Amino acid sequence: MKLKQVTAEAKLLLVGIPVLLWTIIPVYHMFLFAISPRDQATSGRLWPKDPTLQNFGHVFKQEHFYLNHFWLQLGNSLWIAVAVGVITLFIATTAAFAISRLKVKGGRTVMNLALFTYFIPAAFLAVPMYKTMATYGLLNNRWSLVLAMVTIASPYCIWVLKQASDKLPWELDEAARIDGATPLQLFRLVYLPLMVPSLVAVGTYSLLLAWNEYLYGFLLLSNEQHLTLAVALGNFLAADDSPWELLMATGFIYALPPAAIYYAFKRYMVSGLTAGAVKS
Amino acid sequence: MASVSFRNIQKAYGKVKVIHGIGFDIADGEFVVLVGPSGCGKSTLLRMLAGLEEITGGEILIDGKVVNDLESKDRDIAMVFQSYALYPHMTVRDNMAFSLKLRKADAAQTAQRVADAARILNLDALLDRYPRELSGGQRQRVAMGRAIVRDPKVFLFDEPLSNLDAKLRVAMRAEIKALHQRLKTTTVYVTHDQIEAMTMADRIVVMHDGIVEQIGTPLQLFDRPGNLFVAQFIGSPAMNVFKGTLRHRDGQAFVEAQGGLWPAGAARGRHGQAVHYGIRPGDIGLGPAGRGIAAQVVVVEPTGAETELVLQAGSEQLILVMHGRTTARPDEGVGLLIDGRKAHLFDEGSGQRID
Repeated sequence: MKLKQVTAEAKLLLVGIPVLLWTIIPVYHMFLFAISPRDQATSGRLWPKDPTLQNFGHVFKQEHFYLNHFWLQLGNSLWIAVAVGVITLFIATTAAFAISRLKVKGGRTVMNLALFTYFIPAAFLAVPMYKTMATYGLLNNRWSLVLAMVTIASPYCIWVLKQASDKLPWELDEAARIDGATPLQLFRLVYLPLMVPSLVAVGTYSLLLAWNEYLYGFLLLSNEQHLTLAVALGNFLAADDSPWELLMATGFIYALPPAAIYYAFKRYMVSGLTAGAVKS
Repeated sequence: MASVSFRNIQKAYGKVKVIHGIGFDIADGEFVVLVGPSGCGKSTLLRMLAGLEEITGGEILIDGKVVNDLESKDRDIAMVFQSYALYPHMTVRDNMAFSLKLRKADAAQTAQRVADAARILNLDALLDRYPRELSGGQRQRVAMGRAIVRDPKVFLFDEPLSNLDAKLRVAMRAEIKALHQRLKTTTVYVTHDQIEAMTMADRIVVMHDGIVEQIGTPLQLFDRPGNLFVAQFIGSPAMNVFKGTLRHRDGQAFVEAQGGLWPAGAARGRHGQAVHYGIRPGDIGLGPAGRGIAAQVVVVEPTGAETELVLQAGSEQLILVMHGRTTARPDEGVGLLIDGRKAHLFDEGSGQRID
């Protein structure tokens, strides 16, 4: 290796290692708690004296007051996240297609409004959203959280998909039109297949946004059997003697699906499916 | 197969008019090339014919039927794009079959037509590949295949060869021409390259600033350009043109310019008229100093079969192309021998040809 390459690599490592540690340490901390017996959880050691998987057993068997509805709540989280992902994807894809490819009138306004929503923090909208859901009698119903999260996720997803759509060569649409495609056929047969990488990225984003949501879940759902696991986790801290090792074990389990999703879809996050469409 | 007619076609983007009333007819089976510098409106005209641009004014007819309000897909046309516009997620076979599938054509018949087109274009071995796995020339052929499979009334080509390298361009030029001779489908072909226009067209439409400058066969445009723009646009190297004053002497016309009297054939125009004098590089003969019009050799460029010379006559630089080779050397004095019947005269004000 030449000196230049060495220094370039060293610079990257200099940035990379702190970032890696910054990310890993809290996760490791959580893992440490999760495999520690109850009396050793806060011992401050880098590796527990008697590591155990018992905590996970407690969680899976719902053997604690806070864990009475673990599986139900995990199911709620999954149901809500998938619903938000699917609905947001549908709204954002159709909107981006209409604005970017069909050039519908008012498209620019929609885009500007979508951007504008990001000037208002989601937390500001929590109370109005609560009032709205109350008006429609949706409080303590899983759909209230789904609708709220779709509302929050859609503008960003529309924005991202519109940008991605704009990069598809316009000639493809024209060629398809001449070939006899209706707008719906264009959408289904040409647009969607080419947008797959962006769709996966946006779908993952909205799904995980809902999966990780705490504030809105906390506000809109109150019945234990309707809670998402994220909110249920928060309830662990309601008492003075919180079972930290169980909290962390549950949290660790809750963090696994997002990690798995990222790993499974990483090839879609960076992809060049449009290679070969037009001369570049 | 069909005829195409443009009737007083106009196009405006907001207040900006880009096409100012164009009208001409294309006969059934004809290969017509629209040529002109970029921004002249040739692509816009083609796209209006394709149904990809709205028509601001006038009528377009295909096979005698006004198609202004028809969707692209209902005009029975096929278009080959400069960027090929192949569907990247489909194999060559699926790309070519796409339009037939949309029309819900019979599967066996679709397969047959794709196979036929592939054979014509030598794509048999590539049918299961994806566009990204093909070279530029192969992609271009797939784009043509996609058009052929449709068996449309009219083929439209929008600068199809611009993205290819020079050698491939010449090969594809011949291929497209051969294809037309075989299929005899009415073809409208847009290019900015006058050589492509000259070599391929049955008739050329020269466009400039949203109007038609001249329509004619390649040799008509070359031999009798209707105005100064066409004269300078068609032909390579370009025609030598300079200003002068028209003189009549003994029934013959001459142009007084650059300290010489340039022969211009039989008397025409008006004595004393300010004109542009034009002479093609191949129509100037090289003679010894003292004969014809005096000039000096500036540069000699042998290309093998032909030799190109840059000459200085007065303050004007001229290009001369001769077959074979020359012994002329730079800075040498020579005489220019010109057959006046080969000279072109254009009015200085209007630029129109003087006959």
